[in-house]
Amino acid sequence: MTHHVTIQRLLTGIPGLDEVLGGGVPEFSFNLIAGRPGCGKTTLAHQIMFALATPERPALYFTVLGEPPLKMLRYQQQFDFFDGEALNRRVRFVSLSEEAMGGDLERVLKRIVDEVANHAPALVFVDSFRSVILAGEGGQDHNGLQHFVQQLGMLMTTWQATTFLLGEYFDDNDANPLFTVADGLIWLRQIVQRNSMVRKMEVLKMRGQPTLPGLHTYRISTAGIKVFAPASAVVPLQAGVSRGTSGEPAGRALMGVAGLDEMLCGGLPRGYSLLVAGPSGSGKTILAASFLAEGARVGETGVIAAFEQRPNRERNRVLADLISSGRVTLVNSQAPDLSIDEVVFLLVAEIRRHKASRVVIDSLSGFELALAPTFRDDFRESLLSMVTALSNAGVSVLMTSELEDRYTDLRFSPYGTAFLTDAIIVQRYIEVESRLRRVTAVIKVRASAHSHDLREYTIDTAGMHVGQKLPEQEGLLGGRPTRKVHAQVADGGNSNAHPLWP
Amino acid sequence: MTSEQRRAVWMPDDAEPTRSETVAQRRLTGPLAGRVDDDSRADQIAAACGDVWLELDVALSPIIGTRGVTALGQRSLHLASAVHPWLAERQPSGPTLFDAALLVSALAQRSRDEAAAAADTFVQTLRELLTSLIGSALTQRLLGAAWAPPAPPLNRPSAQDPKP
Repeated sequence: MTHHVTIQRLLTGIPGLDEVLGGGVPEFSFNLIAGRPGCGKTTLAHQIMFALATPERPALYFTVLGEPPLKMLRYQQQFDFFDGEALNRRVRFVSLSEEAMGGDLERVLKRIVDEVANHAPALVFVDSFRSVILAGEGGQDHNGLQHFVQQLGMLMTTWQATTFLLGEYFDDNDANPLFTVADGLIWLRQIVQRNSMVRKMEVLKMRGQPTLPGLHTYRISTAGIKVFAPASAVVPLQAGVSRGTSGEPAGRALMGVAGLDEMLCGGLPRGYSLLVAGPSGSGKTILAASFLAEGARVGETGVIAAFEQRPNRERNRVLADLISSGRVTLVNSQAPDLSIDEVVFLLVAEIRRHKASRVVIDSLSGFELALAPTFRDDFRESLLSMVTALSNAGVSVLMTSELEDRYTDLRFSPYGTAFLTDAIIVQRYIEVESRLRRVTAVIKVRASAHSHDLREYTIDTAGMHVGQKLPEQEGLLGGRPTRKVHAQVADGGNSNAHPLWP
Repeated sequence: MTSEQRRAVWMPDDAEPTRSETVAQRRLTGPLAGRVDDDSRADQIAAACGDVWLELDVALSPIIGTRGVTALGQRSLHLASAVHPWLAERQPSGPTLFDAALLVSALAQRSRDEAAAAADTFVQTLRELLTSLIGSALTQRLLGAAWAPPAPPLNRPSAQDPKP
């Protein structure tokens, strides 16, 4: 009978970090936090430390030759997680500048060991370890450095301390012995494209843990670091959340527009994603507001991520009222250089907080513009992951999409994303007697019957009203419909050969 | 450094009355309070000032390093010597040099009132410097309640430039 060691995972509670790490930080692990200056290494280390340190699990934070400790304390206080009361209780700062200045790594190691022996910390941070190495380069050969690193790693593990070394490394291909010795390797990057800067975290290594591969965006605010784990990790698939076991819709969510609900055969199936595509001014946002208002009417809460119009009273009174009454939550998407993962994170947080069942994204066009340039190339793939995540969350989603009327082909989305959604509604303009009129059609509703009619609709102060189809006309999608021949005959042939409407 | 101190350095003619004009009439406060009384001699005041410095050194050196502590002492002495020039006369010159023993010695050789005023200026400046850098809460956390700001006017936040 064998007894395997159980490695305890320390949960940092830092939003998204534990998910990206694959379940937290392994206890007694020897980790490296690396990245260029300014990417947030010290902030991440402090946040981890204040989150994990307790009187029973105290932390030692060694500062070397990087940022002067006084300045570090000054600036780190600006973050919400900094707890001055913790100093010299559960958190202790130790300066190694004297030892490091001498360039004697043995002396540095001895001081670290002395302090660790003296204070018995469960968490040890060395900031920055790069400074230790640079200080030692004068008198130490490569073997000496490797020996030092291995000694430190071994000592910290045997002293039962979970250790984090911070380092300014510019090249992750550097064959640094530290990379081999470390159990965990967290790389922080800043990616600049045009005038935008996006921070991304990569967990290159975390022994024995199912880390989430790839680059994960993170943001630094006064609350500290917030990592935006992939949508699939934020909302794992929950079978049967929104649909029946055989795939058929489980209930319907009314759109709040009687004629449209009729065309949908009783409303949008719950848990479905709906794309509303149409040209500018066709009433997409009005339909979205109606969708949320109908939800509020029956006691449901909603969330809207608005990327274009400000939902103020002047522009959309219904939406503004819903937001001010708290029945709909507006996701603030004004932050620059957004990533899809961040938007999903914000949406899911609000969905969970308000137990929302309806979500609106208005619009995909504005959403794409709000994204940092580095994410636009992968917009289609990212959109798929967002739709999947929201679907997994069990909400009904309405997304609007600006669509240029071309009248030569029937398009549903400028991104080729029509296949991503469960349902599509298209809105078009048509010209009749030198006037623009609007028609709408339900293009698809997955696994559900729906009307194939092309119906006229109007918009007034009360919202959207779907009328009847136009049986006497043809060529509506071409934008300039003509009366059918039999209709002309019925009129007694008073019109010209192919007259314009009517 | 408060705006008053900065003004005193840049525009000495406009400087407010020196501490030496007022401190002799009042009891010492802050970290020096309780260590000296009205009857204390200059050497006792000097020793008390040395003790305050030593306690600060013991508390902060492990955290910010001896060089960091020395830099604090040097800066405080520089500011205090604008009011009491004799304080820095025997100090070594150099970018990060400060000798607390020489400060104590200089204080001990002055009159009681002069020593009290200069020690008070030095310690208050040290406290204000530290508070301006890491805040009063953290200063008290690391050094004790005696390092609390004396009065609201000195504890007000630094003047902020208008946001763009």
